[in-house]
Amino acid sequence: MSSGILQDYLNELLSEPPVPAHTGRAQKPLQAAAEKPLQAAPDTPPIVESKTQLLDDNERRDQLQQLLYSARATVAQHAEPETAPKVVAPSVKTATAVAPSVKSDVPETNDLIADTASDTALTEHQSALDEALQWHENGRPVWAQEPFEVLLFTVSGLTLAVPLITLGQIQPLTDELTPLFGQADWFMGLQPTPSGKVRTINTAKFVMPERYDPSFVDTAQYVVSINGVPWGLAVDKVEQPMRLAPDDVKWRSSRSKRAWLAGTVKEHMCALLDIPMMGKLLTDADRNSRK
Amino acid sequence: MANNANKHQNAEDAVLQWVTFRLDGETYGINVMQVQEVLRYSEIAPVPGAPSYVLGIINLRGNVVTVIDTRHRFALPAGEVTDNTRIVIIETDNHVIGMLVDSVAEVVYLRESEIETAPNVGNEESAKFIQGVCHKNDELLILIELNKLLTNEEWSDLEDI
Repeated sequence: MSSGILQDYLNELLSEPPVPAHTGRAQKPLQAAAEKPLQAAPDTPPIVESKTQLLDDNERRDQLQQLLYSARATVAQHAEPETAPKVVAPSVKTATAVAPSVKSDVPETNDLIADTASDTALTEHQSALDEALQWHENGRPVWAQEPFEVLLFTVSGLTLAVPLITLGQIQPLTDELTPLFGQADWFMGLQPTPSGKVRTINTAKFVMPERYDPSFVDTAQYVVSINGVPWGLAVDKVEQPMRLAPDDVKWRSSRSKRAWLAGTVKEHMCALLDIPMMGKLLTDADRNSRK
Repeated sequence: MANNANKHQNAEDAVLQWVTFRLDGETYGINVMQVQEVLRYSEIAPVPGAPSYVLGIINLRGNVVTVIDTRHRFALPAGEVTDNTRIVIIETDNHVIGMLVDSVAEVVYLRESEIETAPNVGNEESAKFIQGVCHKNDELLILIELNKLLTNEEWSDLEDI
């Protein structure tokens, strides 16, 4: 096999989602290959090719990680110094950032000015949130019309991706996480953070209740808060941010069920969450927010 | 003028005292004005046919007081009676009942503005007992609205005991 053809072959292999050989998911492709007797060569050639692919895969992964770490460093420059890893979504309008200056006839009543500014900021913030919920006719959400950054994290072995623009902060889950009685089983508790109490949801139970592993409560390390709402997702591990093109995602056409799932990213074998929608669902579920 | 505004704000932002107690590792608060007294654990006489959240009755200086299992009422796992276990006698809606708690901690002062609304998700009725939450002394206090602890029907049931 010439080097050019081999390279094409490896590129083709690398474009497929990685399937670990020891998992059940690998069985189908293996069985399919076994059904082709001419390709089933039990001797050395496949092993050599497999090693070559692994090396190339690792090289490619290293390059990708270098790029991603540089992206992460860029994001971290904008973050406030914190003991915990903290990612601030780029180009997100926060309540303070959008607060316009307000002129008042009574300058000494600073509280009134602050209230007015706060109300205006909240209104603008709410309209920004509402806009983020929109999906265009091309079957993609507003935030995915152009290439966008996502953050990967793992929850009970499942990799989830969330658009950075919809994220608030990442804070460690501590002993201060306080459960509240009488809540839904996917509610983990309130996690005090420097920016307020984050209503932490048990992401594993929320996303895949049918495959829920109770050990997640012990393994969850961070809470990823959602921008604009007091809710956050408990996660096991935070991975590197990366850039996705809209075409990298298989967008869901029907979202009547699991409306929080925007689509899947085949290349990274992960689910892409529609965080603005998740925030809306959580807010709607809170009976106290309706008062 | 600024002083008047501050005074007005202070008048609205009342300071309330809360008695804190522990249940299943968490700290809860109840309005001190509704607490009559705190008793050490004493033998509670069970009452046949009482609702499941009722532990029984005690004799408090000649008066019969019903004691409720607060853990059961809050859908928390059952606990054991220890030296720290207390019965908090409370008065709400002209009724007097006792609440069994793991321990009683202290009295804290909270401004109304410090109290935040708690979420209410799910279908459990007990969530309505939570009036709010407040971060105090490096821990989260869960404030209980005693007036919602029992419905009118449940009060009637208790009176029949």
